[in-house]
Amino acid sequence: MAEGSTRGFDISNVIDQKLIALDLDVSNKVEMLERLTDLFEEQGKLNDREAFFKDVMWREGEGQTGIGMGVAIPHGKSEGVNETALAIGTSKQPIEWESLDGEPVSIVILFAVTMGDSDVVHLKLLQHVAMLLAHESFVDKLHAVKSPEEMLALLESSPDDYDD
Amino acid sequence: MKLVGVCACTSGIAHTYMAKEKLVKAAEALGHEIHVETQGTIGTEDPLTPEQIAEADAVILAVDIKIDKSRFEGKRVMEVPTSVVLKASKQIINKIEESLN
Repeated sequence: MAEGSTRGFDISNVIDQKLIALDLDVSNKVEMLERLTDLFEEQGKLNDREAFFKDVMWREGEGQTGIGMGVAIPHGKSEGVNETALAIGTSKQPIEWESLDGEPVSIVILFAVTMGDSDVVHLKLLQHVAMLLAHESFVDKLHAVKSPEEMLALLESSPDDYDD
Repeated sequence: MKLVGVCACTSGIAHTYMAKEKLVKAAEALGHEIHVETQGTIGTEDPLTPEQIAEADAVILAVDIKIDKSRFEGKRVMEVPTSVVLKASKQIINKIEESLN
């Protein structure tokens, strides 16, 4: 098993079906981020929506969050976050995003992170997702997801399940 | 060859860990030994030991922020942004190997 393996973590600590929205009818980055921020707000993950959104946009200005292969991982570490969580949105049409491969994205995984660093369990889960995203074969599966249940099952998989 | 690396990105949330996974998998696939320390929002994990650093043929720093490099004085160090590791991890390792030959 690779060093730093995260097998056995319970992904439901950071994401559930209510934080996943598939086939969104959004045409740009801001619309997508607004929709995902809505999900966080509805699930009580934010105490200050505006502050969170501002921090996400600040990070967008610091460097590309599009990691290539049609996926972006914007993130906000913010005073506006109550509880570290993930929200995932897929778009019907690919949307423009600053990406490592210069291509638009259709899967957006938004990370909301509290300012305190005591949240080890949650941060470990975000790490787990980041490690999964390092594997192209995982990203291929992500693009094939048809339901929130399938998405959650895929996120439960281990980075060691992927050979590439 | 034996490698050690450090990954650290701007927010310490995602790119750090993607870069580590890429480096570890690429090094393993190419038949090299590697140890990678991460410096993220969670703190330092899998810290490199003085022995690992001493034994390493080269050091890969995948960093978007300033880190303390004093531990690596006198070593062959390659420093790149995390984005380069995400795009071309195997090429980086091959390049280091070439430079050592």
